[in-house]
Amino acid sequence: MKRHMIVLLILSLFLTGCWDKRELNELAITVAMGIDKVEDEFQLTAQVVVPSEVSMKQSSGRSPVTLFQAKGETVYEALRKMTISSPRKIYPGHLRMLVIGEELAQEGIGESLELLSRDWELRSDFYVVVAKDKTAAEILNVSTPIESIPANKMFNTLKTSENSWSATKGITLDDLISDLISDGQNPVLSGIYITGNEESGSSKQNVESITPSAQILYDYLAVFNKDKLVGWLTERESIGYNYITNSIKTTVTSVSCPEKGKASIEVIQFKSDMKGKINKGEPEVDVNIQVEGNVGSVECHINLKEPVTIEELEKIYEKEVKESIDQTIETAQKQYKTDIFGFGQAIHRSNPKTWKKIKEQWDEKFTDMVVNVEVDLKLRRTGTVNKSFLKSLQE
Amino acid sequence: MMRNIKINSNQFLVLVIFFTIGTSILEVPSALADKTNQDAWITAIIGTGIGLLVIWFFTWIALWFPTLTYIQITEKIFGKWIGRVASLIFISLPLLYTSSLLFQSGNFLNTHMMPYTPMVALNILMVGILVMGVYLGLETIARSAEILFAFFFLAFFVFVLLIAPEIRIENVQPVFEVNLKNMLQSSLFLVITSSVNAIVILMIFPAFLNKVKQARRSFLIGNLIGGIVIIIITFLSVSVLGADKTANEIFPSFELAKRISTGDFIERIEVLMASLWIISLYFKMILYFYATVFGIAQVLNLKDYRPLTMPLGLIVMVLSLVIYPNVVYKQDMNITTEYSFSLIVGIFIPLLLALIYGIRKKSLKKELNSSK
Repeated sequence: MKRHMIVLLILSLFLTGCWDKRELNELAITVAMGIDKVEDEFQLTAQVVVPSEVSMKQSSGRSPVTLFQAKGETVYEALRKMTISSPRKIYPGHLRMLVIGEELAQEGIGESLELLSRDWELRSDFYVVVAKDKTAAEILNVSTPIESIPANKMFNTLKTSENSWSATKGITLDDLISDLISDGQNPVLSGIYITGNEESGSSKQNVESITPSAQILYDYLAVFNKDKLVGWLTERESIGYNYITNSIKTTVTSVSCPEKGKASIEVIQFKSDMKGKINKGEPEVDVNIQVEGNVGSVECHINLKEPVTIEELEKIYEKEVKESIDQTIETAQKQYKTDIFGFGQAIHRSNPKTWKKIKEQWDEKFTDMVVNVEVDLKLRRTGTVNKSFLKSLQE
Repeated sequence: MMRNIKINSNQFLVLVIFFTIGTSILEVPSALADKTNQDAWITAIIGTGIGLLVIWFFTWIALWFPTLTYIQITEKIFGKWIGRVASLIFISLPLLYTSSLLFQSGNFLNTHMMPYTPMVALNILMVGILVMGVYLGLETIARSAEILFAFFFLAFFVFVLLIAPEIRIENVQPVFEVNLKNMLQSSLFLVITSSVNAIVILMIFPAFLNKVKQARRSFLIGNLIGGIVIIIITFLSVSVLGADKTANEIFPSFELAKRISTGDFIERIEVLMASLWIISLYFKMILYFYATVFGIAQVLNLKDYRPLTMPLGLIVMVLSLVIYPNVVYKQDMNITTEYSFSLIVGIFIPLLLALIYGIRKKSLKKELNSSK
């Protein structure tokens, strides 16, 4: 028996790993993918890393990424069809960005995402964004400075702007799908667009000058109703959205001074709490926002040595932020009629029984529900100086 | 020579824990979340509670005759011929479930890691160590379980720690939305896979344990610890992935491991975590397989079970390839046919056993005393 076991063990050495081995030089590492709808077919664009160009030593000055494109009736078909132009098999395991063309987004993104959630090679930790006024293929066709791989630039820009400016929101495939399937919440996605001369964007010369002639930037949030794009939020509304959904890490908000001029408040700590309740049979949501911040800059004539000034600034901030949040809610209620904030879920969490009754008519209920927003700012510090030098300048 | 084998109650505890966790760690979260949504973890608690009752019932039966295995008990109580038929029905359960688990291990690797590798190759490797383990005997199995147990719980601890920051409490709210009836119904899946099927452990308990009293406690505690692991995994799945996604995933806890990302540094470690499942799967499988081999040997009155290991290994392997034509069929079969099968073998026959034991108690006692 022992001998049998040895034979078995030796056999097992030869039996493992033969079928699914994949060498690095057989893979086309795809970092970004774009999906568009072209004449009833899905057009898939893959941004693939050119390994020799990203290595430190022997780059020959060619573009660090290349694009492959294919069309198919399903996304999966298109993905496989790509091998007719790519010398290696597309490997999406390191995908960072998925760009969806605006036209497709308007028709509905559900079908195109199904493969991505089912395929085993894909991890669902990449960001999904919508190409504004453009096709996804055009977005992927722009070279970028600093990060030589455009997908990385898109990924990192989104991540940093989400963390320090908060008018965009990095939504991963998982978040998106769970927003899509859950009742009482509709998704949003960040938008992405190109400025400048996009024809020269794809060449390497684009990044050779100090100011690239074509640049990729993020626009504000795209609003969805179920899986269909219905419109866009403005910058203020996007920040307002993040205020409501507790997705602000830090940001800077400018507020008006009591007299004239502007001051800016830097948000350090942020917490927003959404609670649903039923008031006289109608759903209501309380949004309670607690902010800690510093005075970032004072571009007006106020005396920061007085505690009263701090209180005044707090009041103004609270009022202005509340206004912009109310504005955001109104846009979602009146203009787009879609519950992107997850108010329905808040009701579901607090009053599961009532939710069952109103679930079916939620879309109508949402448009005229009452939302009570409360903002509370606590200013802590004023930076490294107290009284602004502008004050002495004037005197 | 069979009589000499003894394992201690700690080793037994570890085996029971592995058996309870077994495949449940991979599949239970989605099965529970399917009907009871965000309350799945409460369902898991209920299931564990009911499971403990079932285990208590099993130990109660087993302790009528502390030196006999379940097959011998069956034959003693039912009489020789009916007992044999009942034993054969009993043995068909671990035989079938060994193949089923083998299919699952192959299927898991096929789905998530090696889609182009034929399942037969994966299963041959698995059967190899399965046959080896059973051939070397219960003591070897128990000792290796002890060693791997340390690794298992270390990895599990790390897993929980790393995934904890991703928990979103909103995902488990509202609590207690589902009514109790639905919860009880859904918990059946957990009760069956973790506890009712544990009837095969009666092939070890109490005949091969050196301290029966302690072992009984180990049986219950082992089931409880295993249950707690399942409750934790279910809670994590629901609170991290959300109820809908948990219900939709085939292997939700693997998806969970994919979410681990600490400081952009510790990430993509799901394959490491998969070793957790392979370990618990293996020990569950080997307990089934041991029960099959040993059971057949006892029914046929063989002196040694070892000659049966290799041929049964081959049978199990071939069976694992043909048992389910596809995964959808498997999932359907799990909650229909296998439910009833487990309930018949694990609840109905033991109850019948208890009934007849109650009637024949006196004559059996006399018989036992006279044979001494």
